[in-house]
Amino acid sequence: MTSEPSSSSGPSSSPVNPLERIRHFPDDVRASFVRYQTTGDVAALDPVIYAILNDYIPNKPEQPLSSFPGSTLLIEGLGFDSLAITEVVFFTEELLGITIANEEILQVRTLDDLRGFVHAKAPGRKPV
Amino acid sequence: MPRLPVITGLGFITSIGNDRASVLRSLRELRHGFEPRTFFQNPALAVKVAGTVKGFSFPTPNWRDWRWPESVQVDRELVRGLAPHGVYALGAVQQALAEAGLTAADLAGGDTGLFCASAGSPFLLGAFLDQMRTTRGERGNPMGIVSSIAGTLNFNLAAHYKISGAVCGFVSACASSSHALGYAMDEIRLGRQRRMLVVGAEDMCDESILPFATLRALSNQADPNQASRPFDRRRDGFVGTGGAVALIVEEAGFARSRGARVQAELVGWGQAGDGHSVAASHPEGAGLAEAMRRALDDAGVPAGQIDYVNAHATSTPAGDRSEALALHRVFTHTGAHPKVSSTKALTGHGLSLAGAMEAAFCTLALSEGLIPGAAHLVEPDPVCEGLDLPRHTLALQPGLVMNNSSGFGGSNVCHVLRRAGP
Repeated sequence: MTSEPSSSSGPSSSPVNPLERIRHFPDDVRASFVRYQTTGDVAALDPVIYAILNDYIPNKPEQPLSSFPGSTLLIEGLGFDSLAITEVVFFTEELLGITIANEEILQVRTLDDLRGFVHAKAPGRKPV
Repeated sequence: MPRLPVITGLGFITSIGNDRASVLRSLRELRHGFEPRTFFQNPALAVKVAGTVKGFSFPTPNWRDWRWPESVQVDRELVRGLAPHGVYALGAVQQALAEAGLTAADLAGGDTGLFCASAGSPFLLGAFLDQMRTTRGERGNPMGIVSSIAGTLNFNLAAHYKISGAVCGFVSACASSSHALGYAMDEIRLGRQRRMLVVGAEDMCDESILPFATLRALSNQADPNQASRPFDRRRDGFVGTGGAVALIVEEAGFARSRGARVQAELVGWGQAGDGHSVAASHPEGAGLAEAMRRALDDAGVPAGQIDYVNAHATSTPAGDRSEALALHRVFTHTGAHPKVSSTKALTGHGLSLAGAMEAAFCTLALSEGLIPGAAHLVEPDPVCEGLDLPRHTLALQPGLVMNNSSGFGGSNVCHVLRRAGP
């Protein structure tokens, strides 16, 4: 059974439409998010995750983040610092209406870790 | 030979202009920077005018909605930690660096220190705390603290410019950036730093200004041409403003060795408390008079040699009166008659920004040869009898000028600036 994604499953600081939160993302990323909202397919969140990372990465790489191997480390490989990671976490919490604990953040070290974590945490249909 | 601090660069984001040329023109032509404003979208409020900062827009706490002029370079990575006045400050610092013949890279390393002053951002702090209340403490913007509390200016500018000299913020309300400049002078004079970046800034937001209405300190005049009129008998309060001003202060020998143009010399400063009230100035201006005397002593200058005083006068009935009495004590009663004006008649009161902004105006007076007039002064308060309040800006070259500031708690700070030597 597919559970409907919801923006009210965690504390939300304001009743902002999720699409409004990502209004600055490219159209294809927004379309992917709409697909997630419509179908509950959490895999559709992957472009959104990359867009969020791209928003907060301290120094933007020349190649798109999606071209990096999934084993790339967020801190040692991509140059994220602890502050930038807290911003990614906060934005993700607000967008998906979820709450992410400190212990959970510490388990996320690579791009694949992050994707897997968001897939598991987001309300919606999980990949088989 | 004692080390002499000098000013080599200025930057302006103010209600009367966003660069040196436009500010200078406003001072010469006595053009104010006021516009009608409906605070909190409530037309019923009595306060109807503000000293607006043109070309900037901060309609929501979300930085993605903010706009600023193309001339101001703000990285996305940086703006997330800034308050609106931090954006103003970047614009002012960029101008000051260019004027001083410096690049951002010149601020890195230990030779340069940074002293800042702002009250923080009530606008962003309120939004941040609302967010936390709504989520019952479970969620909040990670940049909420560093972008909003007092100190946000020095946090951001020190990190952005990689400043590893002395870094500090000053909090004495409307005397804050005058304290920052005074202590920056001391850093130079004590040989601790060869260069100081001094920045005063405030948000131009309803949340920064309207709270002063609770103290009955804001003008209720709806006419922008009459709302701010320091020393006038009919003054009824101040007009709030925001913006940012940056000053590059360097040791004179260091500045000249690199070929910098010295715009003014900072020859003395003084401070004194009123020891009187948390918010009201001393009725006789006791602390301000003492601060002026101490600044003159520090500069080794008799009162009679001061050509111009940029008064703190904000256009409140009580504050202007106490400053007039202080000016009489220090000047009139000793036979000295400097020209006196408050440029807040044009800018409005910039709170923590005021002292740095007015020190920069004094620098313009010395380097460009002008004495700003007392704008909007129609009928001087009788207490001003004996003070020389020019109605128009004078094309005169002052040699020595004084800058006055007073803040909550009776905190008074004065600087003495001198025309640059050859």
